[in-house]
Amino acid sequence: MSWSDPARRFEPAEDVQLRAELRDLLGLGEPQPRALAPVPAELTQLAEDLRREALRRRRTERHRPSWGLVAAAALPLLAALAGLGGWGIQQKHRADAMAGQVQQRESELASMAATHATELARERKAREDAQQQLELVARALPHKSLPYLVIPVDKPVRLQGEDYQRVKETPRQ
Amino acid sequence: MEEHPQETPFGDMEAFHSAFAELYPRLVSYARRYGATFAEDIAQEAFVILMQREARVEHPTAFLYGTVRTLALTERRPMKNQNLSLEVVSEPGLGGGADDQVLNQEVRERMRMLSPTFREALWLFVVEGLAIREIADILGIPEATVKTRIHRAKAQLRDQLNPSGGVHVLV
Repeated sequence: MSWSDPARRFEPAEDVQLRAELRDLLGLGEPQPRALAPVPAELTQLAEDLRREALRRRRTERHRPSWGLVAAAALPLLAALAGLGGWGIQQKHRADAMAGQVQQRESELASMAATHATELARERKAREDAQQQLELVARALPHKSLPYLVIPVDKPVRLQGEDYQRVKETPRQ
Repeated sequence: MEEHPQETPFGDMEAFHSAFAELYPRLVSYARRYGATFAEDIAQEAFVILMQREARVEHPTAFLYGTVRTLALTERRPMKNQNLSLEVVSEPGLGGGADDQVLNQEVRERMRMLSPTFREALWLFVVEGLAIREIADILGIPEATVKTRIHRAKAQLRDQLNPSGGVHVLV
């Protein structure tokens, strides 16, 4: 059986019948059985040349790198990436710790500020209360005239003869 | 796993030589139908690509036809910018080749009247003798689409034979 026999390709009967109908429509008639003539020497030589060329190309073909070689080539890159990732994770932990400390400090400062504000408000309230008490007490006292200066005197003030001083004397003769 | 040097996609060496002797002229003709200038080189390159593959090819004939089609279209692609006349580039199933000597003038005229899409599938199915699945692999379309195109080509052929009218049914 020839390699190109349709029976070798297990062609369905309907396809064979369709081909026969189409050959009739085209006027081709029945296919001629191929004579089992010997293959010409030129074609055999050409086929051998092509086969050798295909084998040569297959041997010299640059094969794609296998997965092992790809993994080996990528190993330094993977190591660098792993180191970079570890350093990054470490930096992230440090940043998280620092952020926690800053947040705790901020909360402490906020609580201190709240405490001081409370004390300040209490003192301000106490001062206002004292001021109000003073004003109430001042209103409750009797009204007095404006205060004036009183200087107590023991003896009456009078001019005496010896009390003055001659500042200008008559010229003596 | 390396393939044995004496093993080919077509079987042993004798089967390979037989397949090469039968397929090579057909592939050259197929490349010419796509307007390839170096049709022999394209057919040989397709064989080398097939033999070079380490993975097993399920349909080697379809692989060869598909590779020739791709290489021929790739060869034609740069020519699009050279103001190439459409008369120079022959459409698939219309160009000159060894098989045109087999087909008479009437058959060629009937093929010429078909739409290029249907003509390509019809050519591969009837003239090249490929299976539906192989044609689907070559053209990169589902098998159902190949069948649809072939049946529509069949309907167009019937319209050519019965131009005055008549009813045809897509089966």
